[in-house]
Amino acid sequence: MLEARNVSKSYPTPRGPLAILNDVSLSLDRGDSISIVGPSGSGKSTLLYILGALEPPTSGTVTLDGRNPFTLSDKELSAFRNKEVGFVFQDHCLLPQCTVFENVMIPEMVAPPDPAVGASARDRARKLLDQVGLSHRLEHRPGELSGGEKQRVAIARALIRSPRLLLCDEPTGNLDRKSASHVADLLLEINRDSKAILIVVTHSAELAARFPKSFELIEGGLESR
Amino acid sequence: MKTATLIRRNLLYYRRTNLAVILGVATAVAVLSGALLVGDSVRESLRDLALARLGRTQGVVTGAQFFREELSSEVAGSAPLIAMQGIVTHEKDGRRAAKVSIYGVDDRFWRFNGIGSQTGVELSEALARKLGAASADSLLLRVEKPSAIPLESLHGRKEDPGRTIRLTAGGILDAKHLGEFSLQPTQGDVLAMFVPLRRLERDLGEQNRVNTLLLASPDFPQDRVTLEDLGIKVRALPQIDGFSVESSSGIVSDALAGDVAKAVGARNTHGVFTYLANSIRIGDREIPYSLVSAVDWLDGRELAVNSIYLNEWAAKELSAKAGDAVTLDYYYWEPSGSLTTRSAAFQLAGILPMSGIAIDRDLTPEYPGITEARTIGDWDPPFPIDLKRVRPRDEDYWKQYRTAPKAFIALATGQKLWASRFGKLTSIRVEGSSDADEFARKLRAAIDPAQLGMAVFEPRAQVLQSAQGSTDFGQYFTYFSFFLVVSALLLAGLFFQLGIEQRLREIGALRAVGFSAARIRRVFVIEGFVLAIAGAVVGTAGAVGYAAFLMYGLRTWWRGAVGTGLLTLHVSADSLAYGAIGGVAMAWLCVVATLRSLRKSTARDLLSGMRGTPEEPARESRRLRIVAVIAALGGVAMVAAAFTRAIPDTGGFFGAGALLLTAAICFEWARLRAQTGNVTTVIGLGVRNASHKPGRSALSIALIASAVFLVVALDAFRTPTVSASDPKSGAGGFPMIAESQLPLVWNPNTPSGRENLGLANIGDLGKVRFYAFRLRPGEDSSCLNLYEPRTPRVLGASREFVDLGRFSFTESIGSVKNPWTLLDAEPSDGAIPAIGDANSITYILHKKVGDVIDANGAKLRIVAALDDSIFQSELIVSDRNFVRAFPEEQGFRVFLIDGPASIGPKLEESLGDFGFDVSSTPERLAAYHRVENTYLATFQALGGLGLLLGTLGLGAVLLRNVLERRKELALLRAVGYRPEHLRLMVIAENGFLLIAGTVIGAVCAFIAIAPAFFERGGHLPNPSLALLLLAAPAAGMAASLAAVRAVSRAPLLETLSAE
Repeated sequence: MLEARNVSKSYPTPRGPLAILNDVSLSLDRGDSISIVGPSGSGKSTLLYILGALEPPTSGTVTLDGRNPFTLSDKELSAFRNKEVGFVFQDHCLLPQCTVFENVMIPEMVAPPDPAVGASARDRARKLLDQVGLSHRLEHRPGELSGGEKQRVAIARALIRSPRLLLCDEPTGNLDRKSASHVADLLLEINRDSKAILIVVTHSAELAARFPKSFELIEGGLESR
Repeated sequence: MKTATLIRRNLLYYRRTNLAVILGVATAVAVLSGALLVGDSVRESLRDLALARLGRTQGVVTGAQFFREELSSEVAGSAPLIAMQGIVTHEKDGRRAAKVSIYGVDDRFWRFNGIGSQTGVELSEALARKLGAASADSLLLRVEKPSAIPLESLHGRKEDPGRTIRLTAGGILDAKHLGEFSLQPTQGDVLAMFVPLRRLERDLGEQNRVNTLLLASPDFPQDRVTLEDLGIKVRALPQIDGFSVESSSGIVSDALAGDVAKAVGARNTHGVFTYLANSIRIGDREIPYSLVSAVDWLDGRELAVNSIYLNEWAAKELSAKAGDAVTLDYYYWEPSGSLTTRSAAFQLAGILPMSGIAIDRDLTPEYPGITEARTIGDWDPPFPIDLKRVRPRDEDYWKQYRTAPKAFIALATGQKLWASRFGKLTSIRVEGSSDADEFARKLRAAIDPAQLGMAVFEPRAQVLQSAQGSTDFGQYFTYFSFFLVVSALLLAGLFFQLGIEQRLREIGALRAVGFSAARIRRVFVIEGFVLAIAGAVVGTAGAVGYAAFLMYGLRTWWRGAVGTGLLTLHVSADSLAYGAIGGVAMAWLCVVATLRSLRKSTARDLLSGMRGTPEEPARESRRLRIVAVIAALGGVAMVAAAFTRAIPDTGGFFGAGALLLTAAICFEWARLRAQTGNVTTVIGLGVRNASHKPGRSALSIALIASAVFLVVALDAFRTPTVSASDPKSGAGGFPMIAESQLPLVWNPNTPSGRENLGLANIGDLGKVRFYAFRLRPGEDSSCLNLYEPRTPRVLGASREFVDLGRFSFTESIGSVKNPWTLLDAEPSDGAIPAIGDANSITYILHKKVGDVIDANGAKLRIVAALDDSIFQSELIVSDRNFVRAFPEEQGFRVFLIDGPASIGPKLEESLGDFGFDVSSTPERLAAYHRVENTYLATFQALGGLGLLLGTLGLGAVLLRNVLERRKELALLRAVGYRPEHLRLMVIAENGFLLIAGTVIGAVCAFIAIAPAFFERGGHLPNPSLALLLLAAPAAGMAASLAAVRAVSRAPLLETLSAE
């Protein structure tokens, strides 16, 4: 269960603190999938990064299955993100120097060593890439893929550690309509199969509408749509 | 995928950026290792050169006097030769070469060295070149005539101390055939002449005698040395059942006297000092030219201090009776260079009958020209005698009693009157022994040949020590390449940083998927290390090239600094390894420092392509300004301290320079950080772009400014020409300095001295004053000698010179008005006070004021340091201490001459037989300065290379800026900017950075060098410097062409649409 309580976030500026999030609370169970919309600068990505333990809140708490990641050391926090959280970014953030398969395997590099899991991780990577329709592109570099394909690689990478929380920041923002629809289908299918909590931040009303629950960030507060 | 695979992928994918990092590290390693290789190469070259010039010599025996050539046949594997210095003149065209090494050799020398025998007169290539001599040319060789009798004693032959020998040139010997044979290490050309041994022996009057033995092994069987080899004569005296020990010099040295006492016990010996009296007078009666003996025994008679005994013959001639006042008139050779007549008064204590000691001719040692003469009329003494005074009765005495003394005085009195630095006895009588062989054996066993001037040394060991060099070129080139190294490392760091900035989003993604910051840092650290290693590998290869380039420079463009074209590259694995390790370590530190800046960045920052939340510009700007103000105040304080001499010039220069540069760069950084105001022109917009990445721009400015600082400052340290007329200048107000190869014993300031030297005919000599110095030959302790001087030249300065108080000093022991007077101090702990040039003391001898130096067996304590003077090649002691320390050195060989410069050629002509060489003091100083200035030019060239590197780096930074700002540029294109506008912006940004760097560097340099500049009398920068300072921005502008090209060619509008 993901629970955010009274999460606020502000940034220091020369003219005083700039509040982005204001007392945001959210509670999601395993298998839930939601979308969050809002205008630019409303704090959607900030909320997503806080929920994914990439950025601490100014106040409030975030717990995943009762565990507050911001109380952990950097090493433990990294391990937490590696195991529990999968991220998909708007510009995919693939490593251009690595192949598709290697990109998917990147999180496995820092996973705790487990020889038994090693072989299955590789199998899982292949399976995931097959699932996202890229089994024929394993040895390709990101530079040789289309935008939609890159994003599907990013999704596979996000799922390689079977996270309990999948966070997507504008996953279709850079894609054409067809690719965007394909990615949305994929995310919902994965959510269904893996029972991971799926949170998608988007500008796209069309994408947001495909999720069972949708929230809107207005003046730092989260409101159900 | 493993971390190693990821690192491999990273290295390959970002190969362009990585290549730039590798090149930066490679440059640093190449420069660092190359500098060390230069040091190795100079050392090894000097070693090889000196060893090659030694031939197969492993040991050398030299004698203060000539010894038996036969000694060579008693020492296996040795070769005898005569080694001396001479002046060679081409008889036909008069071309002359001084300080030529003359070797009298025969087949044994060539066999010893494994070279085919040469039978004629052979010349080294350098000598042949200097004389323009070819085979069969007639040459005149002038050498000092060997004599066991000291020149500066009464019996020394002063009228012509040299010998001229006419020779016909045979062949010319190259270095492979030992044409450059030399027992002393020297990096310059060797002027050498090989003369058949028999011929030289004959012309020197030293048949079957030599002064040097070359040994095939360092071991020399000293027991083979005989008393004869040491110039000791033992004469049997049957009349006293004993012996007389004499020296071929006519004077028994204190050392020999001690050895005799050691051999047979002091009780059994009696000292004798026999001297020639010009007259023995009582009233108006006199006897001319009589020998007088000072003895410590007189058949049981008492010898009071002022009493004298006459033999019966003399008493009769003078009608003397006990109690009469007797006067002795005698010649005395004044150490200052004149022959005077002195008198001593005695009271007649008694008359000796004509028997026993009263007619003992053996009390007088052999004096060439006197003792062997048949009559007094045949005397040929080296001092004037008036034969008209000699009466038939005197001749009769000579015929009957020969050298038997006519008068006797107390030994202590005689020694007081006639003793010199050469000794206090003319012979020693040994009584109570008749076995001559046994006595000779005992005496020889008691003698250490070295104490009597027969030295054995191992030239190879000396070469190995000397070849370490007076100047550590490796260290110098490392120091002065330091800026190049730092520039290269800064560039490597800069490129590494650019590489990281290029990958910020990637780093963010890794953080997001669970890579800890430490792990990511580790990946980059390993990458940095791999790049540093790769750079080191490339740089090591480059080091050899760089060192080869510098060695070529030292042989050609910078030959003035080393004085030889014989230095070659020697590659040492150690230096390559040290340079590589140093370069890798420094590069790695740069990488680690760069990565530290990532610590402030959150994953969110990184994912958005930012390196941490930027600090508030105003606050950072304020902090930079505070640093700038503190540094500026510190810099100004150091300049003021250097002006008031509270700190040394050099410290002031480096300290003030560093602080002022820091201040100016921080100030400029702050200005860029807090950029305000409206931009209204395209050029203004370009300049404003420099504030896009203020740190990067400040670094570019720092690179240029530091290089310009170095180049400008080095130029200002060039040593200017010195005025010869200023008594406080480095020339001491003396327009000329002369060096004579043969010693002058006559004082050239006195009429008689000028007469004896043949100077009386020079018309305008009245205005000329000579200040003569004794010389102990040794190694040049100036920057002209690359070898580390083991035994520096020493000069003995006269009282008159000391009292002048000329020249300026940088430092002295204690505060005295005239530091020269410190030379008068008595040696307290056996170390003689000495003065040297500050540069030579510090950089060549590696000593400081107060230190003790071992110079030719004498301990010298440096009591003061001269400021940039003509005395850079030697150390100076007082004349009094000189003759104590080096009694065997004869006459004066170095002269400071106060007088019109026009007199120089006339003196050279009149004293040509002495090898008198006059040079102007400003020229001599200029020779030293040429070396210094060449060093500065060398290091300025390295600074110029650093500047070039800085400008290239600037071009690379600019290109990076352009690539990073493609979106902005695209936007400008979209709103109507033409490509030429964009190009103008790039050029304006680059021009601003270049000009800012150049101005900051030059202004800081001028302020920092101000104290040294004014102290040295002010010297404006060379025009070449202005050209260099113009060339630097031009090169920088050229380097920015890549960025301009990128702007021109980039499909910016497409970039915009893609984004």
